Amino acid sequence: MIRKEIVLDAPREEVWEALTDPERLEDWFANDVELDLRPGGGASFRWANGEERHAVVREVEPGERLAFDWEDEEGEVEFTLADDADGTRLTVVETSAAWSTALDVQASFSFGFSVARV
Amino acid sequence: MSDPLGQVFSALADESRRHVLGYLAEHGTATATELTGELPMTRQAVAKHLATLSDAGLVEGERLGRETRYRLTEAGAEWDDRLDALRQHLARRR
Repeated sequence: MIRKEIVLDAPREEVWEALTDPERLEDWFANDVELDLRPGGGASFRWANGEERHAVVREVEPGERLAFDWEDEEGEVEFTLADDADGTRLTVVETSAAWSTALDVQASFSFGFSVARV
Repeated sequence: MSDPLGQVFSALADESRRHVLGYLAEHGTATATELTGELPMTRQAVAKHLATLSDAGLVEGERLGRETRYRLTEAGAEWDDRLDALRQHLARRR
């Protein structure tokens, strides 16, 4: 699981719009964005390098929570917004069966390796 | 990916691939050429092992000029970049 937190110098509605308006998403997330903002709605993201990812919206709570599931692998992304003294606290949690396993194994391996080298 | 766990374990089942991971754990990054010089393997074998490790999500490669530089997969680096882009996006709108 990956968890990232950032405090953004903007009101919550503004951050929500940046996360959910395809035109705004095209300014920071991907080059071409389609998003049907309702539970079960589809989302497509295309990047300049030819990469393309599809997702299905799972949860929409305006100004508070947005969750979607990646279609190409078992993974989900959850955005949570909260007021902060300096603007808006945005938390992103991404889980993926593929890398949580890979990273756990890798972490124990790296640790074992460095111990073995001492 | 139908069986991510199986892919990880079969990637780790090979001793040469564990050597590749060990090298990356110790040195941070390496190209196929560097690994060929360091490990008792042919360049073709190194390239094949890197592809298997990459498919399993254990390493990731970044193409730099004519070579690809590999590192152990770092969780969340992608989100650091995206959130930084979001911060800049919001600043531009102000």
